[in-house]
Amino acid sequence: MASAEKTSDQTPLLEISGLKTIFPTDDGIVNAVNDVSFSIARGQTVGVVGESGCGKSITGLSMLQLVPSPGRIEAGEILFYRNADDEPLDIAQVSPKSELMRQIRGNEIAIIFQEPMTSLNPVYTVGNQIAEAVMLHDQVDKKTARERAIEMIARVGIPAPAQRVDEYPHQLSGGMRQRIMIAMALCCSPTLLIADEPTTALDVTIQAQVLGLMQELQAEMGMAIMLITHDLGVIADLADEVVVMYSGRVVERGSVDDIFYNPLHPYTQGLLKSIPVLGRTPQSTLPSIPGTVPHPLALPDGCSFGPRCPERMPKCDEMPELVGINGKTENDGHAVRCWLHTDV
Amino acid sequence: MTKLLEVNDLRKYFPIQKGIFQRTIGYVKAVDGISFDVQRGETLGLVGESGCGKTTAGRCLLRLIPPTSGSFIFGEEQVDLAKLSHQELRPFRRRIQMIFQDPHASLNPRMTVGDIVGEPMRVNRTETGSALQDRIVELLESVGLRSQDTRRYPHAFSGGQRQRIGIARALALQPELIVADEPVSALDVSVQAQILNLLSELREKFQLSYIFIAHDLSVVEHISDRVAVMYLGKIVEISDAETLYQSPKHPYTEALISAVPLPDPSVQRKREHIRLEGDVPDPSQPPTGCYFHPRCRYATDICKQETPELRQITEGVQVACHHSDTLALQGV
Ligand SMILES: Nc1ncnc2c1ncn2[C@@H]1O[C@H](COP(=O)(O)OP(=O)(O)O)[C@@H](O)[C@H]1O
Ligand SMILES: Nc1ncnc2c1ncn2[C@@H]1O[C@H](COP(=O)(O)OP(=O)(O)O)[C@@H](O)[C@H]1O
Ligand code: SF4
Ligand code: SF4
Ligand SMILES: [Mg+2]
Ligand SMILES: [Mg+2]
Repeated sequence: MASAEKTSDQTPLLEISGLKTIFPTDDGIVNAVNDVSFSIARGQTVGVVGESGCGKSITGLSMLQLVPSPGRIEAGEILFYRNADDEPLDIAQVSPKSELMRQIRGNEIAIIFQEPMTSLNPVYTVGNQIAEAVMLHDQVDKKTARERAIEMIARVGIPAPAQRVDEYPHQLSGGMRQRIMIAMALCCSPTLLIADEPTTALDVTIQAQVLGLMQELQAEMGMAIMLITHDLGVIADLADEVVVMYSGRVVERGSVDDIFYNPLHPYTQGLLKSIPVLGRTPQSTLPSIPGTVPHPLALPDGCSFGPRCPERMPKCDEMPELVGINGKTENDGHAVRCWLHTDV
Repeated sequence: MTKLLEVNDLRKYFPIQKGIFQRTIGYVKAVDGISFDVQRGETLGLVGESGCGKTTAGRCLLRLIPPTSGSFIFGEEQVDLAKLSHQELRPFRRRIQMIFQDPHASLNPRMTVGDIVGEPMRVNRTETGSALQDRIVELLESVGLRSQDTRRYPHAFSGGQRQRIGIARALALQPELIVADEPVSALDVSVQAQILNLLSELREKFQLSYIFIAHDLSVVEHISDRVAVMYLGKIVEISDAETLYQSPKHPYTEALISAVPLPDPSVQRKREHIRLEGDVPDPSQPPTGCYFHPRCRYATDICKQETPELRQITEGVQVACHHSDTLALQGV
């Protein structure tokens, strides 16, 4: 899907640095997000990829101060450039229940999840729920809000919007529910949409519809998208920049071409090789990564990927830093967290 | 190759009942007349969007649910499994096994791994005593688990390991055919590759045949020799895997392939995308004519009136489309 009409102008919208989000549990502290840094430019799509449990969702929730208790942001900055000219606001310092945070959530940063049923209220019609979101944002009366809801339902490509507006979530298909979520998220024209596995529960044909819709709306409204997924195909399709996470950390980061055509971290390389690709002459054996993701309370010493890494060496007993490649700084361009690419 | 299974015109209609008298007011035609065969040692992939009847077809083949009609001719004996009584079916049961998507839900949490894997052999009295214990260890090792694992419980294992336990249990009675229903769909990508490799390896080692059900086309292409594409309870195309993906002959197959995002950004930017409109229709009220016509961009008048039959168009390629001879469809 062509992303030619993108209006990314490279001015930063959000800069996350050293973010650490933890969950104190009976068995110890889970470092769900550990020293995570990356940035999102205005109008840009940043893909966050990694296997389950690597901290993708908690990163997204941290950005909205929605980390479920007993989790909390322990360290780091989430600098949000609300207006291009003003000083940024550090979301990490804003109280989750504050009016300011509510305003940001309602108007500036929106989030959609994998399973829309969990965020839609089953006892209200979808029209009511969209109208509610509209009224939160704009001082309009009920009638206008309802008209806007119908417009939004039409805009996200659902047929017969004037009838659908009075239906309940369970009357809609999974693909339509996700469109309704997108309609609700976008009725306030946010500058950033966080989409957490938005199409994972959908069939490929419906996934293509929903991703296509997100791209169209992005071109029209100019918002940035943080797209969380485990599907490298979806990343290749939509992302400008990619963040690869493993065990709570960023292990590699770069442009979509860096990640797919010049992956440097052994984990990124392993992931790319281990997925069957449609149309590529099938090999009888897929090059797989041995073992599994470590338990968050039993992380190995040093590099977390060490026990599964074919290139492991003695130095790997220490945790490598995320460093920039080709003379770039770690915050700009292609960066990787691996001793193979760290000059000491 | 010899034929292991021949399925003829399998149907499964679920009644829709209403009111206090549970009157039947219609049917969900979950599987609506499908025919295919499976050769010994072959993997047949079954793909299609959710709700198209893949799981129902698999469950019918195992007689976990009774088929509405149709026959499945199995083995050298050429026995029609669909017609056998439960008593007569018993000796055949062990020869066809199933692996499920969610290994967690299909393993009893209160049984040890050794008991789970050993249960089919105990029930069928194929092994006892120390021979049974040896066989359990042998099975666990063949799926990449260790002998110490026999005493542990399923919750102590990761998703991929639990899928290995399910596979070991399915292998216990030395089946000839395994119906694998979305066996890797719930797994992380790196673990998915391990399980796919294991399934290929076991197929060689034990001369198994698979019916591999999945909605992920890339996975199905990788593991299958031939692929059947289902839409709304019917098979719309069957062909060998490579031909299907390189030059699909049914518009639905073409659309499915087009919708798969390839993990290659520059290819992805250049590809033409066929966007299917709408959802899969309700199988209790399928469209007239070709079930795919409301979403098909090549549909003409005849498509709205006449249901196309599945017919062979070249050696090994069967398609159910009125226009397959004239359409030039794109593959990957
Ligand atoms: N409520 C919670 N309590 C304890 N640990 C949690 C909680 N929620 C998430 N975690 C842990 O945080 C880590 C990251 O989770 P998550 O961000 O959901 O991963 P992903 O979205 O990449 O699959 C995991 O190890 C998970 O077990
Ligand atoms: N026990 C049942 N009773 C009624 N309808 C069913 C039952 N099982 C499946 N169906 C229906 O049959 C159709 C096919 O379902 P299924 O075989 O699960 O599809 P798939 O595995 O391809 O997703 C669906 O419309 C489903 O709702
Ligand atoms: S730091 Fe060492 S163990 Fe970690 S990915 Fe690099 S080479 Fe492998
Ligand atoms: S028969 Fe007609 S509607 Fe059906 S797939 Fe072929 S062209 Fe499309
Ligand atoms: Mg998640
Ligand atoms: Mg199914």
